[in-house]
Amino acid sequence: MPALIWFNEDGLNPQHQMVQDYADAPKVYVFDVNYLKQWAIAKHRVQFIYESLLEIPNIEIYKGETVATLRQLVTDHQANEIITTETPNHLIKSWQDELLKYTNLITYPEVYPATDSRSPRRFSHYWRKSDRAWLTLT
Amino acid sequence: MKRLRTDLEGREAIADYLQAEFSFLENTGVLAPHPGGRSAGLERLEQFQLEKYGKQRNFLDGEVGQLSPYISRGCLELEEVRQWALRHGKSNSVEKFVSELAWRAFFHLVYEEEGDRILKDMEKPKVSMRRHQTRLPEDIASGETGIPSMDTFIAMLKETGYLHNHTRMYLASYIVHFRRVSWRAGADWMYGLLIDGDFASNHLSWQWVASTFSHKPYIFNRENLERYAGSVLPGDPRKGDPFNYSYEELSEQLFGSEYQPERSRTSGSYR
Repeated sequence: MPALIWFNEDGLNPQHQMVQDYADAPKVYVFDVNYLKQWAIAKHRVQFIYESLLEIPNIEIYKGETVATLRQLVTDHQANEIITTETPNHLIKSWQDELLKYTNLITYPEVYPATDSRSPRRFSHYWRKSDRAWLTLT
Repeated sequence: MKRLRTDLEGREAIADYLQAEFSFLENTGVLAPHPGGRSAGLERLEQFQLEKYGKQRNFLDGEVGQLSPYISRGCLELEEVRQWALRHGKSNSVEKFVSELAWRAFFHLVYEEEGDRILKDMEKPKVSMRRHQTRLPEDIASGETGIPSMDTFIAMLKETGYLHNHTRMYLASYIVHFRRVSWRAGADWMYGLLIDGDFASNHLSWQWVASTFSHKPYIFNRENLERYAGSVLPGDPRKGDPFNYSYEELSEQLFGSEYQPERSRTSGSYR
């Protein structure tokens, strides 16, 4: 199934498993202009992201509105699904939710040694529960 | 939508190009000391002297990895950094460092559950914040508070897009407790300026400082500031110094007599 790999700003690893699993898929990133303006994102972060993207072979970098741009790219590349990485970022999640209305979306999860869904609200409790998992080489 | 170039070489050329494409970005005129990319992240990991971390991590001139930009932006996976650390064998430094990685995951797990509710008070504040300003004062935004230490921190943030964790706590505490500005105004401002800006770590840390995600407000005094940050600071005037008090005195001044802090371990007798 033709796929499109969409990188987000929380997942800029050129060696990520999704890149290996979908080796032939076009790879894209969108600088969302409204987001950059609304949150007054500094140039240092934009440059850091851009420099990181340049290490991803054949990356296509766009500026525009994220969902509209990706919908256009899905059409242009005749893709049936978008591959991306999971992030708790609520803004990126809202884009992912919007995209789901139009296409399939496969998200690769973040990996942690301890991911109890009932997360305590104090780090000391979390650490007491999971320090062994964190401090064990797997 | 517009496709951007990917054939540029050199950080200066990239900076000029991005300034032209995103003309609304504030131009600091300097390059950040952290170049983007996985290879730069791996290089930093290689240079990081983990064995010194346990003892030096709280000092602004101490050995810290400065890996946060690379982990936050996903150039390095948190799990691979954890495994790298554990391969050093057991030590206090390794445990401290891994627990800092766990803090990041902890914040992410809370954010995953709460979503954008982390942008509001997670808990009732432990000290009164009813009269806090909801907008960041201009002198803070421009780094012209008149307190050389705080202005130095703000300049570092703007010029580098990065701050040592202790510096983030000093600035947040200064803004929320000494200046009585809502944590949200400060957190939003810092989020935009940091290369590693991340709602989970950033906003929940501000809430931790404010006491809406912790048992008590975080404050610092002159003695603490000099001990951990003195080597990188220009020196503040002693006259009218807002930090030169014991923790008990500061609590009384900042929060009034209803708030009873736990007794601090340091004497606060710097002056």
